[in-house]
Amino acid sequence: MTREYAEQKLKYIFGFNQFHDNQWAVIDKILQGGRVLLIEKTGFGKSLCYQFPAIQFEGVTIIFSPLIALMRDQVQKMRELGISANFISSQQSEEENNQTIKDALNGKLKLLYIHPARMENITWLETVRDKNFKIAMVVVDEAHCISTWGHDFIPSYRKIINLVNLLPLNFPVLATTATATKRVENDIKAQIGKNIVAVRGTLLRSNLNLFVITVQSEDEKMIWLAQNLEKIQGTGVVYTGTRVSTETYAKWFEYLKINAVHYNSGIDTETKKEIEQGLMNNEYKCVVSTNALGMGIDKPDIRFVIHTQSPVSPIHYYQEIGRAGRDGNPSYIILFYNPNEDRTLPLSFIEGARPETKKYQCVIDAVKSERLGLHGIVRATNVKQNQVNVIVADLIAQGIVIEVFDGKSKKYEYKFNAPTLDIGSFENLRNTKLKEFDEMLSYVTTHNCRMKFLCDFLGDNLSSNCGVCDNCRKKNIQVDVTQEWKNKLVDFRETYFPILEVESKNTNLVNGVAASYYGVSNVGQALRRSKYENGGDFPDWLLRLTLKAFYKYFGKEKFDIVLYVPPTESGNLVKNFSEKIATSLNINISHTLKKSRVTQSQKIFQTSLLKTDNLKDAFFVENPSEIQGKSVLLIDDVFDSGATIKEVGKCLSTLGAVKIVPLVIAKTVGGDL
Amino acid sequence: MKEYTEIPYWITLAHLSKWGTEKINRLVIKIVHDNQMSLETFFHSESEWQDKFGLSDIDIEDLQNAKSELPNNAFLAEDLLSQGFEVVPINSPEYSKTLKANLKVKAPTILYVKGNKKIMQENSIAIVGSRDADNISLQFTDNIAKKAAQQFKVVVSGFAKGIDKQALDSAIQYKGQSIIVLPQGIMTFGSGIKKYYKEITNGDVLVVSTFHPKAVWSAGLAMARNPIIYALATDIYVAQSAESGGTWAGVIDGLKKGRTIFVRQSNQNEKNANLILVEKGAKAVDSEGNIIDNTELLKAVQTMNETTQNNEIEQVITLLEKQKLTSKQILERVQLNMSDKELIKKLQSLPNIQTTKKSNKVHYFIMKDMPTLFPIK
Repeated sequence: MTREYAEQKLKYIFGFNQFHDNQWAVIDKILQGGRVLLIEKTGFGKSLCYQFPAIQFEGVTIIFSPLIALMRDQVQKMRELGISANFISSQQSEEENNQTIKDALNGKLKLLYIHPARMENITWLETVRDKNFKIAMVVVDEAHCISTWGHDFIPSYRKIINLVNLLPLNFPVLATTATATKRVENDIKAQIGKNIVAVRGTLLRSNLNLFVITVQSEDEKMIWLAQNLEKIQGTGVVYTGTRVSTETYAKWFEYLKINAVHYNSGIDTETKKEIEQGLMNNEYKCVVSTNALGMGIDKPDIRFVIHTQSPVSPIHYYQEIGRAGRDGNPSYIILFYNPNEDRTLPLSFIEGARPETKKYQCVIDAVKSERLGLHGIVRATNVKQNQVNVIVADLIAQGIVIEVFDGKSKKYEYKFNAPTLDIGSFENLRNTKLKEFDEMLSYVTTHNCRMKFLCDFLGDNLSSNCGVCDNCRKKNIQVDVTQEWKNKLVDFRETYFPILEVESKNTNLVNGVAASYYGVSNVGQALRRSKYENGGDFPDWLLRLTLKAFYKYFGKEKFDIVLYVPPTESGNLVKNFSEKIATSLNINISHTLKKSRVTQSQKIFQTSLLKTDNLKDAFFVENPSEIQGKSVLLIDDVFDSGATIKEVGKCLSTLGAVKIVPLVIAKTVGGDL
Repeated sequence: MKEYTEIPYWITLAHLSKWGTEKINRLVIKIVHDNQMSLETFFHSESEWQDKFGLSDIDIEDLQNAKSELPNNAFLAEDLLSQGFEVVPINSPEYSKTLKANLKVKAPTILYVKGNKKIMQENSIAIVGSRDADNISLQFTDNIAKKAAQQFKVVVSGFAKGIDKQALDSAIQYKGQSIIVLPQGIMTFGSGIKKYYKEITNGDVLVVSTFHPKAVWSAGLAMARNPIIYALATDIYVAQSAESGGTWAGVIDGLKKGRTIFVRQSNQNEKNANLILVEKGAKAVDSEGNIIDNTELLKAVQTMNETTQNNEIEQVITLLEKQKLTSKQILERVQLNMSDKELIKKLQSLPNIQTTKKSNKVHYFIMKDMPTLFPIK
């Protein structure tokens, strides 16, 4: 097909007058059955490079993508052009997915988008090897997810690599990505191999104005945002480093009457969808999120992306800010950096990303003797679930363990003749990540054009200075901290209390409240001092804060009795604290809740499964008449998995308590203890 | 990496529906051996199919159709490999040399396996027998498996009920190695792989299937895999066989091919066809697997047969001295190991036998003290 002829068809079907040179280069190769790796910035029009050929081919084009929202978007666009397309993901029901697969088999679809995790679907597996299912081309979107050297390695992409390597010669394959360093590009080429040709464009985004604001404390970040967020036109995203901080910042904005909402992977799917929708419809000023949000949004007019914490590498940063200004209009990109503290978190991500070697060996040994599922491995090894996930993914990558299906559940098997664990590669990866973090710090401290810095890092030697970043303009931002703002922060902190979600159908527990998060300001420190360093009773200011939390949420409710959770390690601290609370609130206190057996400290159990096991039937009430028919205020010092409160709640409900409200000093967020 | 990408091509070729194994293998030899080509190169060199490979127009059409299945087979292969199964093509050094030597150009083009492939390179014996086996046969199986384990020989069996299962379990018990040859596609064998997970993971059990990975069990496949079991082994031990069915057919076929087959010598009161197999050329062994001198046995068998026969004829004579019966009626009353025709022949050779027709059927009877002047038919 000549370019002229193709462009005629392009105009007719898609409404565009012509291809970019790089687009045509890719399409031409694809139409001849070649393999291409396309690295082009967001907004370039990579999708056209497979959508156009897809229509020319006989059969279905299969597109693997990890971004469900993007898939949905693309399918919509295709249908509007009269091209039959659909997608398969975990967000649809099994019936819907199976119907889509059937449609593809019956030749009713030209484009089929599929999330790699769906490759395990039985109907998919059966259909796809049916010789009547005509497959024309395979597209791997977000191809950088193939590479462990990249920032977004997804284990199920391994299956895609294996598949692509099994596809015949002259079968067209297109891999696309907007973010790949030279190293990642080479890794992708090496893994997909077989005559793959790379086509690269410039990654410079001229409409992004980059800024870095250096601060001396977390407070300065919050103050600057309070002073300036509303001055930036339009809707945007604020990225923070931890889940807790998404809540903290969102609540701070709420306190300031700025329309904000928080988002992270701990939120349920329904709410996530609502927030994504809301963001698309400009219902908020901003969404405060961890990098969980980046992967799910395709909004053309994100006007600002602000990071309160430095990401671990320039490539992560480039990808996270890359979602801004897809419409080409000016957008503001701000990174806060506190030289005193902000190295800690990213370093902990890098170091903590890999669990200790002996844990790997534990998992290998467990799986050698028995085929186990994820929970089975967690029980057998006492390793935290998210660490087990990382370990299993690595073991699969090294060919030591394989994933199989036992009916509907996923199990892991030890592969016969598996190689020994290669720790060297972990070391290499870790060192590379540390180097990349150093580069990130160089970005923060550079006095040269920031955009050029990022593009150079990504192996793009085509870019010149952007002219619009703070360095190019020679206008760096300083934070102006006034006493007025400092006071506002203090006031905010004294009115913001985390909720304890413990309500359930089979107990009379009601959601309770904590005075603070464990990791915030001095709360954790004070608790540790009292519990483990003989610091005496919990200090009065904690008492005041706890009472404040109580008054805010339960000030208007009546309670008959105060109970407290009997301790494992910390002696009378909780008892004394509870007595003071009871006195303050003028409620009777009862010492009737006791431990029926010795339990181990919950701290040592890494997983909620084991924590629950530890506490089963561990509590009893000496004098049930004290709680029968009563409303109970239940006090404890720390709320972690909630297992303790839930177990006590169960016990008290069975014995007749009509309402149980937990009140604790601190709530942890995974890993605090 | 190279072998990996060849897998979908092997799968496509091996399951070409209209060709037989021999035809496929001959093409494979031409490609891989004569022309030193990879299958991938072959499939993409259509212009050479006619001249270089001497393929007919119909053959070429078949191959072109098969070629269109390559992407689908790529997906199948990915699934297969990700679950820990492997594909061993006939030209691989890992392919069983015994299998190749026994079946030659009819050896399966590819083997689907899971577990320790090296087991296929060891000395091996097969233990076969009926699904509903007697205890004595199961005990024999156990003995043979034990010996095999002690001699570091691999036990090959078919995973059917009865003897096959006993062979496998005994081999495992005595810490020997085994090969299970499946009567179905390897990906349909989920429960079995789960059950023997530890042994497979330890390298003691190798699961083998020659059928399409998703082929479900059928009696046809069960029959088809028997020759594979035989061909994977050097020596074959038969614990128990009936006079028809899979085991019987396998032994007859094996004897025809000149294989060494050991059959357990059954006792007089056993109701199986073991001794008949010995008559047909199998070697008799005792319960420990030791060869029993054939001539003695054959004589014993013959004598036994004769004795039995004589006893039977005595019964018939006694009967016919008292009443007149048709041959069918005789068979109803006396346990005779012969057909109607054989009986009639025998009757006609008896001294003093008489016939008469009643209701148009021939009835036989014997007159005692018949003068020999009467005609004997």
